[in-house]
Amino acid sequence: MKEKEPKIVCFSCRFSWGYLVSEEEIAARLENWIPIICTGKIDPVHILTAFRQGADGVLILGCPEGDCHYQDGNIEARKRITLLYNVLKSYGIERERLKLHLGADPEGKTMPQLIKEMTDTVRKLGPRSGDTTTQKKSATRTK
Amino acid sequence: MTDKKKVAILWLGSCGGCDETIVDINELILGVVNSVDLVLWPIALDFKYHHIEKMADGEIALGIINGHVRNSDHAEMAKLMRQKSQVILAFGACACFGGTPGLANLRSKEDIFRWVYQEAPTVINPKGVCPQTTTRVDGKELTLPEMFESVHSLDHVIDVDYYLPGCPPPPYLVLKAITAFLENTLPAKGSSLASHKALCDTCPRNASKPNKVAITEIKRIHEVEADPTKCFLSQGIICMGPATRSGCGESCININIPCRGCFGHIELVADSGAKFLSGLASMIDAEDEAGLEKISDQVRDTMGYLYRFSLPISIMNQKRLQSDEVKSDD
Ligand code: SF4
Ligand code: SF4
Repeated sequence: MKEKEPKIVCFSCRFSWGYLVSEEEIAARLENWIPIICTGKIDPVHILTAFRQGADGVLILGCPEGDCHYQDGNIEARKRITLLYNVLKSYGIERERLKLHLGADPEGKTMPQLIKEMTDTVRKLGPRSGDTTTQKKSATRTK
Repeated sequence: MTDKKKVAILWLGSCGGCDETIVDINELILGVVNSVDLVLWPIALDFKYHHIEKMADGEIALGIINGHVRNSDHAEMAKLMRQKSQVILAFGACACFGGTPGLANLRSKEDIFRWVYQEAPTVINPKGVCPQTTTRVDGKELTLPEMFESVHSLDHVIDVDYYLPGCPPPPYLVLKAITAFLENTLPAKGSSLASHKALCDTCPRNASKPNKVAITEIKRIHEVEADPTKCFLSQGIICMGPATRSGCGESCININIPCRGCFGHIELVADSGAKFLSGLASMIDAEDEAGLEKISDQVRDTMGYLYRFSLPISIMNQKRLQSDEVKSDD
């Protein structure tokens, strides 16, 4: 049986990612894409919900450092994500499955490629350790 | 015959602390006992479950249930109480959110059995004896309840009318809840019978909290001499106050211990652990990514902080009791 293609959920800030083209145009090229205004808006609740609903990886595209329209939303996002890694680990979800990428691409042309790279990374990890609610694989004992 | 309202108190997976807090109402409990007809209270009175089975549906006016649901016996008793009671009150953090036993959901059931009956250093079990739901001894069949895959809050198993959080709930809130029940002044179904504010809003240290807390190092309470007047977070000590319901009387804060979150989430918060994490992240003041990693590493036992009482109702963990978990349901 062919292995299932990993599902990547991508959140991207409208200010740096694809603001020159219409949302429809990007959406046509990407699955599970959620445009947002400022990565500082993304709460751990959203990321956990994505994993809970079956995402194999979550990619967050934010504006370059120093370029946030709201001063430091991207840095806030980085802080949340860094802390969230500790939580994911307890659920047996590898760090590589959640990534924040800061940069800019007004036409959004590189987005499919970034998602593909994430898909490849996640594919190498293999399937996520089952449904997190009934972990068969034992998570590492927390520190 | 008495026309007093019938009240039943039941414990499921419980430590006894919730029953103790009812006893701690002290002499006022006598008033309560006089105004109701207690039909079940396993820890204190001798009633049998089959007495409850024989009652008419809805005959019990108030069913108070403490403890979490982990096995088929807990689930059966909870369902029986639901059937016989007009109002069900989930009493204490375990019944409301799964409680501290809920942290066991980070392990599988198999892992737990393996550790407890084989691998723990204190275990000597050369024959590999492990409890079974049915065993034959001298031609007779003995049965034990079936342990479920995970720990559940009460509302994963039955419909719950009210929640009284706390580990355990403080006596004054217990009395308030029972009084509201007796006087027919209970709020809307589904309500928590505690404050609707966050602990920070009622905490005496809140005034000392700077507008912007900047944490450069996270310390554990036993590692430092905490200033008893200042907000814990402003001292770099994790305190769950911002994401925890108030109503406990600040009992931990008052003895210079940070809040651990036993009153659970505030209304409309889906996952108080995740919410707290978000708030904590915004307080971290790191120079660069390496500094951020360093502070993140200082959060020892992240899950124990974020979900000490609420893992079974967290986004990642919550699920209603699946019928396939209960193998012998028919
Ligand atoms: S964080 Fe803790 S110490 Fe600070 S105000 Fe809130 S409850 Fe009080
Ligand atoms: S301070 Fe927090 S942990 Fe302590 S009793 Fe109050 S709600 Fe519970």
